[in-house]
This record gives sequence, C-alpha cells and structure tokens, in this order.
Amino acid sequence: MNTPVIDFHSHLGNWGRHGVNGDPQRFIKIMDSAGIDKACINCIFLGDARLANDRVTELVNKWPDRFIPVAFVTPHYPNEAISELDRAFDQLGMKYLKIYPDYFQKPIDDPAYFPIYDWLNERSLPVMGHATYSFDKPGQTPYERFALLSERFPRVKWVLAHAGGWGPEKAIEAARDLPNVYLETCGSPTGQGAIESSVKTAGADHVLFGTDMALLDARHQIGKIVTANIPNNDKRKILGLNAIKLLGLEI
Amino acid sequence: MNNHFRTGPSVSMLNSLLIDERAEITMGDVKLDFKPSVPVTDANISLGRRHDMPVSIESITDTRNEMKRAGINVAVAHSPHAITYDSGEGNRMLMETIRDSSDFVPQFVCNPSFDKLDEIASHVESEGVRSIRMLPSLHNYPFRSWILGPWLDWLAETKITVWLPVEHQLLGNTYPIDPRDIYDTLSAREDITAVLSEVKYNDASWALPLLKNLPNLDMEISRFVVTGGITSAIEAIGPDRVIFGSRFPYSAMSPQLYHLHHCGLSDEALQAICFGNANRMLGID
Repeated sequence: MNTPVIDFHSHLGNWGRHGVNGDPQRFIKIMDSAGIDKACINCIFLGDARLANDRVTELVNKWPDRFIPVAFVTPHYPNEAISELDRAFDQLGMKYLKIYPDYFQKPIDDPAYFPIYDWLNERSLPVMGHATYSFDKPGQTPYERFALLSERFPRVKWVLAHAGGWGPEKAIEAARDLPNVYLETCGSPTGQGAIESSVKTAGADHVLFGTDMALLDARHQIGKIVTANIPNNDKRKILGLNAIKLLGLEI
Repeated sequence: MNNHFRTGPSVSMLNSLLIDERAEITMGDVKLDFKPSVPVTDANISLGRRHDMPVSIESITDTRNEMKRAGINVAVAHSPHAITYDSGEGNRMLMETIRDSSDFVPQFVCNPSFDKLDEIASHVESEGVRSIRMLPSLHNYPFRSWILGPWLDWLAETKITVWLPVEHQLLGNTYPIDPRDIYDTLSAREDITAVLSEVKYNDASWALPLLKNLPNLDMEISRFVVTGGITSAIEAIGPDRVIFGSRFPYSAMSPQLYHLHHCGLSDEALQAICFGNANRMLGID
C-alpha cells in the first residue's frame, strides 16, 4: 500500500550557528532517500516576513511537486502582519502559518499575536509554533496556554511543534482534550515511547510527522514513526493522511 | 577510491556536511515494518532507575523486550546511579542485574576524582569489563594528564576503551565536555582508545574536526541526527570508527538504526557500524 508522506515541518535557508545547510538540491536528495513526497516549508530566519515568504514562493515555484508553502509573519511589525497574511494566503497560496515565539521573545499566547489569530480564526486556518519556552514562568504548561487560546480562537487549528518540546505530557493532554490541537513530531530527542504516548493519549488523528529539515536529518525523523510500536494504519495517518486532511491537500 | 557506499562518490563538500548522492531512493514506498538487515550491537544504553527523573524503561526484562522488537542482539549497558551518585555501587548494581546475560555487556563508570584506581581496576578485571565511561565535567575534574596520569597508564596497559559523552544533563544543568582537554590529552596518548559519545547535532562544528585530528578517538552516533551527519562522519573518519548506539531509554532504539539503513551504505560499512566496530573493540563474540 502506497503511503503518502508529508513532512509538516521544514525550513528554508542557512543557519550557520547550527550547521544548517539549506541548499534545496541537497534538501530534495535527502527527502528522496527518506521517502518523503512533499515538505511543508517555511522561511522563519528573516525579520522581513514579505522577503521570507517570497523566498518560499520562489522555491515552491521551482519544485511545485515537492514543496508546500508555509507563511511566516512577525508580531514585531504588526502593521505589516495582516496585509502580509492577505498576500501570503490569497496570492501566494500558502497553507498554514508558522510563527517563531522563541526568537520573537513572545510566547505563543502573547496578545501581540491576537490580531494575527483573529485573521486565522476567520478562515479556520492552522498555525504552528513551539509550545514551551526558556522564558516561561515556572509551572506554566502548554495545556493552560492552549486551553485559553482554543477558547478565544475556536476555529484556529493549533499545531504544537516538537509535540510540546519540554513538558510533552501536558502538550499531549492538550491534544487529547482540545479538538483543534495537534502534535508535530520532529525533534532531536527521540524519547523512548514518545510517539506511542502521543498516539495512546491524543490519538493518531492528532499527530503530524515533521522533520525540522534542514537541521535534523529526515531519515532519522521518519524512522521515529516507522519504527514506533503503533499500528501501521496509525503510521499512515501520522506520515501523511492527517496533513492532507488538515491542509485540504489534493494528493 | 571510497568504497563505503553503494555507488562511486560524487560529492561536493559544503560546510563539512556532504550532499548524500548515494542514498537509496525510497520515495512513494516507505516500508512501515522495519527490521535491521544486519546484526546489531547497541553500544550505549543506560540500565536502571534514575534518582532525578523517572525513566520510561528501567528493568532488564523490559529493555530486553525493546531490544527484541528493534532487532538488537547485544547492548552495552552502564548504570545511571554510577553516573549520578556512586560509581562503585552503581557498577556493582549493574553486574547484579546483568550477570550471566549473554545479551548485555557491562560498561563501568569511573570517577577519578573519587574512585580508587586499584579498586576499580580490580573490579574491571574480575568482571571482564572492556570499556569505561568518564564524565569529567559532571564529576568535577579536567580531562588532563596531570590529574589522570595513572588512569591513562592503566587504560593503555589494559587496552580498555574510555567512553566520553559530550555532555550530561542533571537537574536542569548541562555538564559539557571540554574538547580542548580531549585533544590535548588524547593526542599525547596514542596508546589509548577513546569514543566520543552522544555527539549532538550542534556539536558537529567541533566534533568532526576533533575526530579527524585524533585517530585514537571514535564516534558513537546515538544523538548525531543533523542532516547529512552520518555521511559526513563516515567521510571524515571512515566507517571503522563510527559506532551505533541508541542512548536508550532516553532515546528510542530504532530511529537511528533506520537512518543508518537509508544512507546508501555498503554492506561492509553498515555491518561495521551496526556491530563490527563495537564487537571488535569490546571483545564481543
């Protein structure tokens, strides 16, 4: 049975500090060797969101069969954000929004994002970001964070990058209890039982495969799903069927 | 001629991470039931309970079940208690757990800032241990000859391999290794074999050059998941110095094995990394 594989989380660009080499041809070679059909790709390494989204569009235009464009905006430039969202989704055909709270130094539930979430809520669109941060207050959990966000913006689909990162238990519970919360799987730790725990608690329908390419090797990240102790049908959902449904892809 | 890969090399090098020209294309037909195609020795697992955090799997029975599911034949195990509190006691606890188990090989933790060399040496010899694990930063000593002198002589004489994890995390603190100490000490002691263990994606910038410059330092790849990292490690130091480990139970056993099987490696290279190098180094049949 042919399993479509959609990488929900990848990045365009170089990041020298972490040895990230974003050369697209190399990227595609590694996608090929990992068996990835398409990668959702964003450019979050620039402060200028318009330029970042143009770079993604250029890549997708060159390899339309391999990449799915993902938008980026920054709350540091609020006057630009809404018009750029209009452009990214209406003109450039982007499929979901990626934000980078760690580097914005604003957690995902900071009010600075609310105009952005209002816009997404009108359209029932997904947004992906990290769920926990080094600057979190002690005791703060993703569960509380996303419970409040879900209540305020009920039509937004919240994708927790790295399945919650530090403190995955609360993130997994959020995905279990809140209908519009999803867990994306990429990360450098590959904690024993992490995938199994996500599926058991939140359900395979709420888990999305991602790689964090070109930082982490896609072959390792897909290995986490393929070798997980879960039914093959759950693997298929995680590897691609959930992303196809969430993003309304025609594959 | 580079014969570590299935076809001849055609690579360009950019920032020390190579374009992987040789990997098998599996797009559109991902196999969901993976088992390794070669025997496997997992050269890095922790076995036992930790005091500072719960571990997902701590018993030998559950560990063995995971090994069976992952297709791993033998695991090289160390005691977390030996790392965190008392190396001597932890090493004894490890032996009580794995004694007479043919699928587990002991690795003792040694803390030169606290342990007595003659006691450790005697215990190592009596149990047939072939590798030790040192964590200089966590145990508060620099990895330098002026502290380690007799230990280094002992390692050279017994040909026991010393494993050096690049860092240890404990109670929210990180205790990283100092690569300058590693270079200075090991370059002056070519009669000692060491393994740089748990190299992470963001260590590549210093770890690969360190490995290239120290022929007596091998690399265990449990955490080396940076894009193209395995290929670059092999190109840097050859497959005979790359060793598979999982870092179980902090990491699952299989993902890095899966990764290795999809790098386009020759059968010889895959066998060397998955079991040959560890078995040769540690005297595993």
